[in-house]
Amino acid sequence: MKHLTPRRRAAVMGASALALLAASPGTAETLTVAIPTFSEQTMTPWAGSGQRKTYLDLVYDYLVYLDADGNAQPGLATSWEMKNEGQTWTFHLREGVPFSDDSCGTVTAEDVAYSIERIIDEDSRAGPASTMRRVIDSAEVVDEHTVRLNLKAPDFLLATGYMGEAQQVGIVCKSYIEAQGEGADSAMPVGSGPYVVSESVDGSEITLSLREGVEHWRVSPDFDTISFKAVPEEATRVAMLQAGEADIAPVSFDSIPGLEGSDLRIVSAEKTWSPVIRLGGIVQTDPERFNPDNPWADVRVRQAMNYAVDKQTIIDELFQGEGTVANGDTPIAAWDSVEPYPYDPERARELLAEAGYADGFDMTLKTFTTTPGAELPLMAEAVALYWADVGINVTIEPGDWPSIRAEWTSGKPLDFAMTHRGFPFANPENGVEAGFSTKSLFASFTSDTLEEKLAGLGAETDPAKRTQRLTDIGQYLRDEAANVFMVLANEPYGVGPRVGDWGIDTSYVYNFDQAELAE
Amino acid sequence: MLKHLAGRLAEALVALLLMSLVIFLLSRVIGDPVALLLSDSATEADRQMLIAQLGLDQPGWRQYLTFLGNALKGDFGQSVTAGREDALHLVLSRLPASLSLAGIALLFTLVVGILLGVLAAVTRGTVADLAVRLLALLGQSAPSFWLGIMLIYLFAVKLGWLPTSGFGGAVYYVLPALTLGLFTLAAITRLVRASMLEALGSEYVKLARIKGVSEWAVVLRHALGNSLIPVVTFMGTFFATMITGAVVVETVFAWPGIGRLAYESIMARDFPVIQTVVLVITAFFILANLIVDLLYLAIDPRMRARS
Repeated sequence: MKHLTPRRRAAVMGASALALLAASPGTAETLTVAIPTFSEQTMTPWAGSGQRKTYLDLVYDYLVYLDADGNAQPGLATSWEMKNEGQTWTFHLREGVPFSDDSCGTVTAEDVAYSIERIIDEDSRAGPASTMRRVIDSAEVVDEHTVRLNLKAPDFLLATGYMGEAQQVGIVCKSYIEAQGEGADSAMPVGSGPYVVSESVDGSEITLSLREGVEHWRVSPDFDTISFKAVPEEATRVAMLQAGEADIAPVSFDSIPGLEGSDLRIVSAEKTWSPVIRLGGIVQTDPERFNPDNPWADVRVRQAMNYAVDKQTIIDELFQGEGTVANGDTPIAAWDSVEPYPYDPERARELLAEAGYADGFDMTLKTFTTTPGAELPLMAEAVALYWADVGINVTIEPGDWPSIRAEWTSGKPLDFAMTHRGFPFANPENGVEAGFSTKSLFASFTSDTLEEKLAGLGAETDPAKRTQRLTDIGQYLRDEAANVFMVLANEPYGVGPRVGDWGIDTSYVYNFDQAELAE
Repeated sequence: MLKHLAGRLAEALVALLLMSLVIFLLSRVIGDPVALLLSDSATEADRQMLIAQLGLDQPGWRQYLTFLGNALKGDFGQSVTAGREDALHLVLSRLPASLSLAGIALLFTLVVGILLGVLAAVTRGTVADLAVRLLALLGQSAPSFWLGIMLIYLFAVKLGWLPTSGFGGAVYYVLPALTLGLFTLAAITRLVRASMLEALGSEYVKLARIKGVSEWAVVLRHALGNSLIPVVTFMGTFFATMITGAVVVETVFAWPGIGRLAYESIMARDFPVIQTVVLVITAFFILANLIVDLLYLAIDPRMRARS
């Protein structure tokens, strides 16, 4: 199944005819990127998950971008201001940014307001849709280049959060989508990004072409074409890198030693995910989800479970040293001062004895693999060995994420623990809310004290004090041993010799348009 | 003859109906897509809204009847995840890739398998026979997942003769077809060897030899002709192996067929797509077996006499 609009089909045919005429080597460079999945392979921001950002980030622009340190940088919005205690946000748009389809003209406030309203629409399948709906009341066009967002509740990080490049509000052309009608979800995308989708073959390949005659406001890419291939099997992706069929591909830690010594190199996105062990049944603020019979309902047991594991050794052995010992369940800059639990099996035994478990206890640990996250089952086994050393006997139950997630969010008093991959949220407060707020189905730990702290954070308007409150929450979660914190892990990519300078800073932000052609 | 065919078609419809019920129930046993589609910070209200949107708030029997009624009209529902694409359209668009791979793999296994089987039978007890039997043993015991990755390393990475993976021209078929076909190749080889040995020891072959028919003609015309009947019998099963084997092979070789679609839709608990994939595969099994039945009538005179 190939999607080509008539206009684009003509353009592609024209372009290939030109390419045949002027076929001289080196004029058209293609960057090939092998990724595990295209997810839904739909092309509008609201028609699927954030996994599609690997290719959509090159097609759509966002209002706000982030630099390597996570600071806000102007995007389609050149400036913005927050008023009314975080409940009103005004974005001033960059002028004269052309869409990839001539009929759309340049990006206007109409397009931005439409893009935001569309992504919070009831039938939106975008990951952040439900939480955005709770926050955003309306998007208002003030003038051609000014948009005002009215919020239902204060959001002090809206610009770098939901409107940032790490989320899904890519700006679409309103008139083009409206003309597509019902077929909008399967339509080819029209955005203002540096590339256009020239071909999308279901489940196999997505080809992006650099827009001709457009000097993009953000990047001037080296590659004329970027070809994405969906390759679910990691061993096959590694083989593609080795055979020179792929220039960039995510690889597992296991493959790193095998790739060393060749002309390939490893580029890691640092601390982009955080393997963690979440303990079930400690949503203490909800009687339906709290299971006081779990030994780890006692904070001393949870602390012991943290002390008992030599996390650094696990990082060295399983993660090829690509990570640091975690102090929380997700990498949050405001938590940098929070000290991780050291490896201290003696202390673990003491705490267990104090809690009445001198002889240990039996428990179930469920585990599964994901990408990234092929290491989770091995990590479960390593942790089980360390725990056995202090008397905790673990039965490991391998499963798959869909089943385990369904069980985890079932609203029942759980009696098991699971390995999980924590991800950074573009807005760290969303991450804390997802993991530790009573209203979140996914929450793994809650308490009355924490609810108060979260409410305090929500009401705080002073940015410096907000950071302080966030740090305080991180310290509390650490002291309460809300999870068994494991690793703040990197995400390694294998990179071939044709690629010059290229780096990746954070997850959810894909910058294949910045890959340079090697000299 | 016609009556026989009509009977088989009626059976096929019953089988499809039963299969639709089985797959409907089985796919619901493994969970539902709601937990997967919800974001990490979703609330109970978000979940209820999604359940209603997907029609999962209806009782199971009503969901099934709705599904069945729509399916009879050719509407298999929309994919829960893939941008609400029409499930049947999605499956049919992936079908050519799978069928062409299975077809080429089957053709390859038939030609090579029969040749090797005959070779092993006529050279019984020699080194050649031993080598063929060893190959057959390997083919039937090596997991296709492992075999596929080994072939990729040898032919694509080390030797650079073939592409690692992907969907395209003839060269792209070689490794996946080999991986997909090796199990069946081994089965056909053993089957042909066994039935050739039986045929070569039979009275009619002895008679042909006594009558002075050349050894070539004895082997190829008299013995082989009859030895192929069991191969035809198993053709439907072989085809089934090809399609089910595609789940693994298509994943290893990044082949955009229905095998990978089946795997991905199961992982996403995408009920409409799971149901459609399984029903389409079932329909193909039934069709393949029907064709085998007809072939059987054509090649075996005893069957013709009976019907």
